[in-house]
Amino acid sequence: MCGWTRSLRWRFLAMTLLTLAVALAGAGWSLARLFREHASVQFEAQLRVQLDQLTAAFEPDGGRNARLKSPLSDPRWQTPYSGLYWQIQRIGSRSGDAAPPAALRSRSLWDFELQLPGDGLGVQDLHSHRLAGPAGQPLRALERRVQFDQDLQSWRLVVAADESALDAAVADFSGQLALFLSILAAALLLAAWLQVSLGLRPLRTLHDSLRAVREGRAQRLQGAYPSEVEPLAQGFNRVLDQNEQVVARARQLAGNLAHAIKTPLAVMANLADDEAIERAALARQLREQVGQIRQQVDWHLHRARSSRAGLPGLQAAVQPVVEGLARVMRKVHAHREDRPELTLEVEPIPAGLCFAGEEQDLQEMVGNLLDNGCKWARSRVRVQVAVQQCLLLIVIEDDGPGLSSAQRQAVFERGVRADERTPGSGLGLAIVRETAGLYQGSVALEPSELGGLRAELRLGAVIEA
Amino acid sequence: MRILLVEDEPTLAAQLRQALGAAGYTVDHADNGRDAWFMGGVQPYDAIVLDLGLPVLDGLTVLRRWRSEQMMAPVLILTARDQWHEKVTGIDAGADDYLTKPFHAEELLARLRALIRRASGQASSVLQCGPILLDTRSARVSVDGLPVSLTSHEFKLLSYLMHHPNQVLSRSELSEHLYAQDSDRDSNTIEVFVARLRKKLPAELIETVRGLGYRLRLAHGGA
Repeated sequence: MCGWTRSLRWRFLAMTLLTLAVALAGAGWSLARLFREHASVQFEAQLRVQLDQLTAAFEPDGGRNARLKSPLSDPRWQTPYSGLYWQIQRIGSRSGDAAPPAALRSRSLWDFELQLPGDGLGVQDLHSHRLAGPAGQPLRALERRVQFDQDLQSWRLVVAADESALDAAVADFSGQLALFLSILAAALLLAAWLQVSLGLRPLRTLHDSLRAVREGRAQRLQGAYPSEVEPLAQGFNRVLDQNEQVVARARQLAGNLAHAIKTPLAVMANLADDEAIERAALARQLREQVGQIRQQVDWHLHRARSSRAGLPGLQAAVQPVVEGLARVMRKVHAHREDRPELTLEVEPIPAGLCFAGEEQDLQEMVGNLLDNGCKWARSRVRVQVAVQQCLLLIVIEDDGPGLSSAQRQAVFERGVRADERTPGSGLGLAIVRETAGLYQGSVALEPSELGGLRAELRLGAVIEA
Repeated sequence: MRILLVEDEPTLAAQLRQALGAAGYTVDHADNGRDAWFMGGVQPYDAIVLDLGLPVLDGLTVLRRWRSEQMMAPVLILTARDQWHEKVTGIDAGADDYLTKPFHAEELLARLRALIRRASGQASSVLQCGPILLDTRSARVSVDGLPVSLTSHEFKLLSYLMHHPNQVLSRSELSEHLYAQDSDRDSNTIEVFVARLRKKLPAELIETVRGLGYRLRLAHGGA
C-alpha cells in the first residue's frame, strides 16, 4: 500500500464516493426513464381523447363529402401550426384511387397535409405513427378507421401532436433531477466525511494518549473510548502493566543480586587487607566466599529465567521432557562404583499431556528432582506422571537412605545440602519449590514405599489433549 | 592416559591443562571446533572434555560428527549454564557425562576417572593387579601395601597397562596414549620406562610379547 491508500479516512471516502456515484447515477437514470414513460403514456392518452372527440364530431354526409357536426372545442385546432392537428382522409373503395386527398383537416394545419404511411388498417383499429410536422417538427399521430353503416366509404381519422413538448418536459425533468441528485450527493459526501472524521477521532485520541505515555506525561492510556476501541486501549494498558511488572522484577532481581554479593565482597576485601592470615586459611575463606557468590548468581539467574511463567500460550509436552531427562540420568548415573547398576523406571505417560508453561521450567523442576533421586538411590528410581484433580502430578521415588522429617523441612532452604560431601549448589529443591509456586503448584517430600524419598510435584498448569 | 581438552576460553583451558597434567594425564588442547573434530578423529584419546560453546564449529556438531564416525572415546561435555535442555541434547548427541560451569577441577577429575574406568570396563577406582594397587583418585601405587614412588611417565605407563590388563599393547599404541600430540615421540623410550617399572615392581608383571609389544599379566585371583 502506498500514498493515499494507507489512510483509513481516504479509503472510507473513496468507497463512499464510488458507492454514491453508482447509486445516484442508477437512480437518476431510472427516474428519468420512468418519467419519460409516464409522460409518453399521458401524451398518448390525451391524443386518444382528442381522437375520440374527433370521431364523435365526424359525420359524413353520404357520397364523398365529410364534415364535422360541431366544431371541436380546443382553440389549438384553430391556431395555425399550433402543434395540435387533425385530418380526415377518405380510403379509396375503388381500385385506381391510389392516394386520395385529405377530405378534411384542422385549421391549424393550414395548407399542410399530413403524409400518412399506407396502412392496412382494420375498422376501429388504433394505430400510432411518428410523422414530420409542418415545420419538420416530430409529431406523434394516432389514427383510427371508421365506417358508417349507411356508407360504404371508410375514413381514416388522424390526430397528431407535436412531440417536442414532451421531449422538452423530459429534458427539463432530467435537468432538475440531475441538480437535486448532485445536491444529494454533496450532502451525503459531507455526511460521510463528518462520519469518518468523527468515527476516527477515537483513534486520534488513542494516538495522542499513546504519545503521552511515550513521552512520559502519562503512565497509562487515558480517556473513555467507544466499545470498538476500548479493548485495544485496555489490551495496551495490560501490556504496559506487564511491562512494568517485568521491569520492576528485573530491577528487584538486580538489586537483590547486588546486595547479596556485597557481603562476600566485603569479606574478601577484608581478607586482602589481613596480612597476618595464613595461606591455607586465606584459600579456604576465599573459596567459601566465592561459593556464596556463585550460589547467589545461580539463584538469581534461575529467577531471571523463570520470569515468563504465567504468560498465556505456553505449552510443553510432558512425555518428551521426562523421557529426555531420563536418558540423561541413565547415562550419567547408571554406573557408579559404590552401588549396583541403577534402574530408572518411567511409567507410561499419556502422549497428549502438556504442561501449560515454559518447557525449561518443567525441565528444571523434574530434572532437579530426578537428579536428586538418582544421586541418592541404591539401585532404583521410579517416575510416575498423572493428572489428579486438574493438577499435573509428577512423583519421583528412590530407594536411597531418605531424609528425616527435620531434614525434609530444611532441604528447601537455599544453600542447605543434606550431604556436604557430594557436589551441588544446594539450590535444587529451593528452585523447584520457587518454580512450582509460579505455576500455582507445590512440591512435597515424604518417605517412599521404595525405602527412600518420595518427591511429589503438583502443578496447576495442565493441558490434556 | 591421554585426554583431549576442547575449551576456547584461554584462562580456563590453562587451568584445566595444569590440573589434568598434575593428575597424571597427557593433555592435548584444541581451542576451536574444527581442530577438535580433526584431532578427536585421528588420535586415540582415552577421554575427551568438550566445551559446548566453541568457535568455528559448535561442540554439539563436533560431538555428532565424532559419533557418526564411530569415535567411541568417552566424552564429557561442559555446559555454560545450568540448563537441562542443553544436557539432554548433549547426552542425546552422544556425550557420556556433563559438568556445569563453573566447576571445581577435582569434580572434573573425578568424573573423568569414572568415565575412563567405565570405558575400560573396570568396576572400581582402585585397580589391582596381584600385589599391586593403583588408586586412580590419588595417583598412588603400592606393592603389598608399601607405597612405591613413580615418576609421571612411569605412572602413566603403568596406569594405561592396568586399565587394559591381559591385552597385548604395542609400543606405538603405548606412546600414542602417553605423549601429547606435539611432543617428540620415540618408541624406544617406552622400553626404557618398562625397564624402570620392572625394577620398581615385581619383574614378571610386565611381559614382553616378541614383535608385538607388552602385556600386563594378571595374577590369579586379581581383579
